[in-house]
Amino acid sequence: MDPSEVEFIAEKERVSIVPNFNNATVHLISGDVGPFRAGLPVNVPVWMALNLRQRQKCRILAPDWLDVDKLEALKEEEKASKYFTKMPSEHYMVVAQLILSAVEDDIPRIEEIRMAVKNLWDVRISKLRSSVDTFIKSGGSHARLDYLTTMEINSVRPLLPHALDFIDRLNKASEGAPRRDLSQD
Amino acid sequence: MFCHGLISLDGGCQQLCHHRKIMSLCHSYVPNYFSIPDILATQEKVPCTFEVQVKHLGFLDPGSDKRDIEVGTNIELPFWMASVLKTQRPAIADVGLPKIFKESYRDILKADPVVVDLHKLAPYFYEFGMSLCMLNHRESPEIVNVLVESFKQRFRKILDWAQHSNIEVPESKKLDNAEKIIYQAGREVGSSLHLWLTEGGSLIMAAGMVMQHKKMKLTQRDLLQ
Amino acid sequence: MFCEKSLKLIKELDRSQEAMPPFDDDGVRQVFEEMRGLYDQNVAAANDTTADPDGTAISGIAIRHAALERNKRCLLAYAYNRILRVRNMRWQFGPILPHDIKANFNEPEVQWFNNYNICVARYFKSIGAHGLDLTADVKPPKSLYVEVRSLTDYGKLELDNGEVVLLKKHSTHLMSRAQCEPLITQGVLEQISN
Repeated sequence: MDPSEVEFIAEKERVSIVPNFNNATVHLISGDVGPFRAGLPVNVPVWMALNLRQRQKCRILAPDWLDVDKLEALKEEEKASKYFTKMPSEHYMVVAQLILSAVEDDIPRIEEIRMAVKNLWDVRISKLRSSVDTFIKSGGSHARLDYLTTMEINSVRPLLPHALDFIDRLNKASEGAPRRDLSQD
Repeated sequence: MFCHGLISLDGGCQQLCHHRKIMSLCHSYVPNYFSIPDILATQEKVPCTFEVQVKHLGFLDPGSDKRDIEVGTNIELPFWMASVLKTQRPAIADVGLPKIFKESYRDILKADPVVVDLHKLAPYFYEFGMSLCMLNHRESPEIVNVLVESFKQRFRKILDWAQHSNIEVPESKKLDNAEKIIYQAGREVGSSLHLWLTEGGSLIMAAGMVMQHKKMKLTQRDLLQ
Repeated sequence: MFCEKSLKLIKELDRSQEAMPPFDDDGVRQVFEEMRGLYDQNVAAANDTTADPDGTAISGIAIRHAALERNKRCLLAYAYNRILRVRNMRWQFGPILPHDIKANFNEPEVQWFNNYNICVARYFKSIGAHGLDLTADVKPPKSLYVEVRSLTDYGKLELDNGEVVLLKKHSTHLMSRAQCEPLITQGVLEQISN
């Protein structure tokens, strides 16, 4: 998948906004949104929040985990743990990227938050790469990795499945099996 | 309403694969009858020792000007022909191992597969090795072992190169063709992720073939000037 | 050595990667000649087995037959892989190809491209009530309008709203996404990132 497609999926996550207008509940295929009361927080999909913000119809309330101290703590926990830790959002990276770019003026210490998200991402990605490498070297055929987010999984695709397919073909060569996909001959 | 029709696009775009290869899904490479890499891989030469006389084909042996191939003649022939010689009943020739799959070379690969320039050794190292194993040479299990272990050890580098850079690493020239295919697939993902992190994901880009065509035209114009 | 000509065709295609080299009529003809020769020799050898009491002729036949099969594989792979590229071009360049590329097609390939074009267009039209262009909105669109810069002196372009703009090299415009997307994919415009 292209990252923009992952982003598209992630835009269905919900965030809180404070609208400055009144509107009845909106019925969408993905579920109801609203009603909107000026000044009262309401949960909406990220894509809607961004669109309203762009037209200055609302203020976005950043999720509570989008905070330097919380992110630092998550990073430390991630470093200390052998396994992947649970992220506050299934799409933390995308949501952070989108919201931070939309609310430039509303949030203090925005550069620090951006750095903290990037650091957390880097720790997790390098952990992912090491585990992929160990997995390949050990010759395992299945592994269980909990709490990986879609964008992270996407970063080792198609490399990992292609490498596994290839190793499988190499192993089968010793059985003297035909190498070619004969269905297309 | 306030969404300008964006809602109707919900979920509509996911079946299309990566932007530059709209048509092809991301299948891993498995050779078939029409595969160009497979045709090139089966062109690699292997030593053959003739066990029967073959009339009128003496010209296959570049080192001799005889009319026939005599029993006991050693010739290096492309794999596609060698496999026919070996699988005829009775066999026309016995097929040996090319030097890159003999024990001395296997030992080099076992010692440190990461530093070996596989491309120089054989551009289709793994495919060629797999082909050889189909002939059930007695050292086949050993060869497979070396192929699998080499790839596993070298994989980490491919992984790192693919995700770290948006330029082609010069060292990647040492990869064999199969490794290169995996590396390129990974590189595309790496650079699209990088682009997403720096520019955001919504930029529309020129199609891959269009860019290539433009570049080609520019170099042609430079050559003319 | 057998099959050198057909190997040359394949190598040529391999070197050119995704681009389209001119169809090598002469090379293909030479492979056919070699195949004709191999076939005639095998027919002659097979009919002559009476003069071959020890049965060694079969080895020669087997080798020549392998060469025939190999040539066949190379020729088919040559034609097939070229067609795959032609097909790919429809999705990347759109329904109209640059002249210098089309000049490298042979007649059947031009035919094939035209037929494929018709097929694709008919399919697009058949989706849903109003048809759907599958090459549009390859990435999830974010906005209805995008800012673009012209990369060439393209000339006049009539916008959806009837307004006519002049696309000059380096000129910038705000255009509807739907209208400029094909022009961006074809390298006429580039999107300006914000």
